[in-house]
Amino acid sequence: MAAWAVALSAGTAYAADTVPPAQFDALHRMIKPLPREEKWADIPWMTSLWDARQRAAREGKPILLWEMDGHPLGCV
Amino acid sequence: MAKEDYVPVACDDWYQRRRKDAEGDFFRSVAEQSPRRGTGTDTKQGIYLLTADGKLLAYKNAGQAPDVMREVLADGLKKWNRLPDELRRPGAVKVPDLDESDGGYTRQLPPGGLIVNVHARALEKAPTGSLADATCKVGDGDEASRDHLWLTAEECRSLLPAGAKAGDTFPLPDAIAWRIARFHLIDNTRGEPAMWTRDQVRKLDVRLTVEQVEGDKAVLRLHGPVLVSTDADATRADRGYDASLLGFIGINRQTGRVERFDVVALGQHWGESRFTQGARPGLTPLGVAFEMAKGDGPGDRVPPQAAREIGAYFRAEK
Repeated sequence: MAAWAVALSAGTAYAADTVPPAQFDALHRMIKPLPREEKWADIPWMTSLWDARQRAAREGKPILLWEMDGHPLGCV
Repeated sequence: MAKEDYVPVACDDWYQRRRKDAEGDFFRSVAEQSPRRGTGTDTKQGIYLLTADGKLLAYKNAGQAPDVMREVLADGLKKWNRLPDELRRPGAVKVPDLDESDGGYTRQLPPGGLIVNVHARALEKAPTGSLADATCKVGDGDEASRDHLWLTAEECRSLLPAGAKAGDTFPLPDAIAWRIARFHLIDNTRGEPAMWTRDQVRKLDVRLTVEQVEGDKAVLRLHGPVLVSTDADATRADRGYDASLLGFIGINRQTGRVERFDVVALGQHWGESRFTQGARPGLTPLGVAFEMAKGDGPGDRVPPQAAREIGAYFRAEK
């Protein structure tokens, strides 16, 4: 469990209550990806296989194709 | 290795294996050399290492096993280096421009549209009453998910009615409210989620209140409950999300452009769908955060997962 927990009042029923306004920023930060979850973004992924083919041919390199159901950079 | 020795590219297999154009033909010809061979519409997902002229060097579907992937990348490089120089040197292979893309499997952000990053995260409640990032196994919802919400320029302008003043409250426009409820209040932390049908939206009462108007700037507070569930009686539903939303939207009144879109959904989620198995038992806290994309990353232009059904995506309320 992360150390930066967001304190809610005891007995809060999440669905029945609104998002606590005072905790909005902390919750927003907590839900978004952490730096350790973004390491894949250090790689300069292209998103067009055809463009990657052209670049690989031009530069004389092989292609690394990450092909998933649900775009690897945009879903799940 | 991935950065220096390869040209890295990431694609959504759902589009790639279906598209009827030269890019689709090329991909399928590579997949045919792999264990994913076959002409059906079954998944062809995995990591492919290939040459620009379409020779498969290596294949593995082990994206969450770094050690295995390092071995596969090294193996692919060895095979690449064994190819004759005349096939490997820069410019040896000629790849023409793509004549035409299959429009049925190409998605573009509407002109002037807005990209909002959407992240879901499994949360858990500590004995102290605090909420925290849930502890899950790798691949079982241990990280935030990522998707994008697309809004058209017209929808952005519709957020702030003409003449609205501080304190005014009005419903979030239907097109946006339904799109968020059906396609973005989902648990996609373990894989591709099932989206909500229109009938599965049981409660949707999201409103905007004008918090502040100063010069060209207006700030709207977005708030309200949403209940989505597979059964009209949520207590009997296999899957559902009972959430409340709070957020802040900044708008330039002069240009109509959205300058801030920070929203949180918080609630209890339960159940799983075909490709999101392994859900925690019972009702568990799930948070969804929305934030404007910077627009400078390659992933920013990746279409929303639900945009595969592009007609339904932009007419979620119909």
